Amino acid sequence: MILHGDGTKPIYIQIAEWLETQILSESIKSDEKIYSQYQLADMFTINPATAAKGLNILANDSILYKKRGLGMFVASNAKTLIVSKRKSQTLKQLVADLVQEANRLDVGEEELIEMIKAESNRNKGEPE
Amino acid sequence: MSVIKCEKLTKSYGENKALHELSLTVEENKITGLIGRNGAGKTTLLKIIAGYLRKSSGNIEVFSEQPFNNLKVSSNMIFVDDQMNFPTALHLKELLYVAKDFYPNWDMDLAERLFDYFSFHPNERHHRLSKGMKSTFNMIVGLASRCPLTIFDEPTTGMDASVRKDFYRALLKDYIAFPRTIILSSHLLNEMEDILEDILLIRKGEKYLHMPISDVKAYAFGIRGESSAIKEWSSDKEILHQKQIGDGSSYIVVTNTSYKLAKSAKLEQFTISPVAAEDVCIYLTRNEKGDIDHVFNRG
Repeated sequence: MILHGDGTKPIYIQIAEWLETQILSESIKSDEKIYSQYQLADMFTINPATAAKGLNILANDSILYKKRGLGMFVASNAKTLIVSKRKSQTLKQLVADLVQEANRLDVGEEELIEMIKAESNRNKGEPE
Repeated sequence: MSVIKCEKLTKSYGENKALHELSLTVEENKITGLIGRNGAGKTTLLKIIAGYLRKSSGNIEVFSEQPFNNLKVSSNMIFVDDQMNFPTALHLKELLYVAKDFYPNWDMDLAERLFDYFSFHPNERHHRLSKGMKSTFNMIVGLASRCPLTIFDEPTTGMDASVRKDFYRALLKDYIAFPRTIILSSHLLNEMEDILEDILLIRKGEKYLHMPISDVKAYAFGIRGESSAIKEWSSDKEILHQKQIGDGSSYIVVTNTSYKLAKSAKLEQFTISPVAAEDVCIYLTRNEKGDIDHVFNRG
């Protein structure tokens, strides 16, 4: 992943989101050790304190748990937590933006739903 | 533990005050970025910390001691800038061996690896190097010395883009392996902000901002919308920056506190965007005379 340094999103949030995606895709599984702040700092050329901030976001959400002297580990229900968090925050915001843009363009509800269906089918590889 | 402590530090050159009652603390093992416009007092501050210059008044302690003419400070500190003087009689490789005797933590292996990586020739001489190569060599000395307090005053002067990138990465990697207190001054916040922990912004010799870099990004918000609505909304708020876009709309930058105050107000009609740390610094340090467009406005 390449970090976006343009200031649209703080780096530590980008780190947290990247880790979440790693957990969702099971690159790092439940009860496995997650990258340390120093590994993340080296991987993305960022300050270790920034990396720690990203890790702490996930620890506060109970997606990670700490083992004294050993580092941070992925919680057993991490995937469920991430899914529900992203649904209620990220996805909701994306939908809000989508609806707002549709209103600006005078795209009606039905047309919008058709567009979503078409896109969804396209992703599944089925003909429209 | 704090490595540097200043209280009401003042430095005058004749009538001119380069630093004015500057108070700050720099904690151990952090990378701090020192930002400021030309002539803001960055180099003066760094040279006082390094013990090269004497303060005029106020107090400064480095490693709990007065830095000027102090052996403890100079043996634990390295000051890297583009005016570093090395004996002209010695070859580059010999300089590395001399440096080894000066700095107790010197890592010869790292110095030699960097020396080869950046394709220096052992028999070259420092004063004959190009500007960028000089900066690169100085940077190698700065890194390999592993001083508990490492000061880089505009280290990337003259370096090309790829050497700059290499420098920041090398600095970060060596810092991870051997944490130490590092101060970096530069005009180019953009390229170094990722590796910083704290940022220290000075303006006309005074401290303006000293906070974690992640907080700087949340310090201000950009708001775009219809001009009259923006004007009405922002009438009681601190505006850092203002710009007309086209005919009817404006873009303003307000501080986080104004933004929070206004969150209850109707903001749906506006587009809100984050502001890059570098832009925040530019807005905070611009002068009162207005921006460059003002110069051309003779009407």
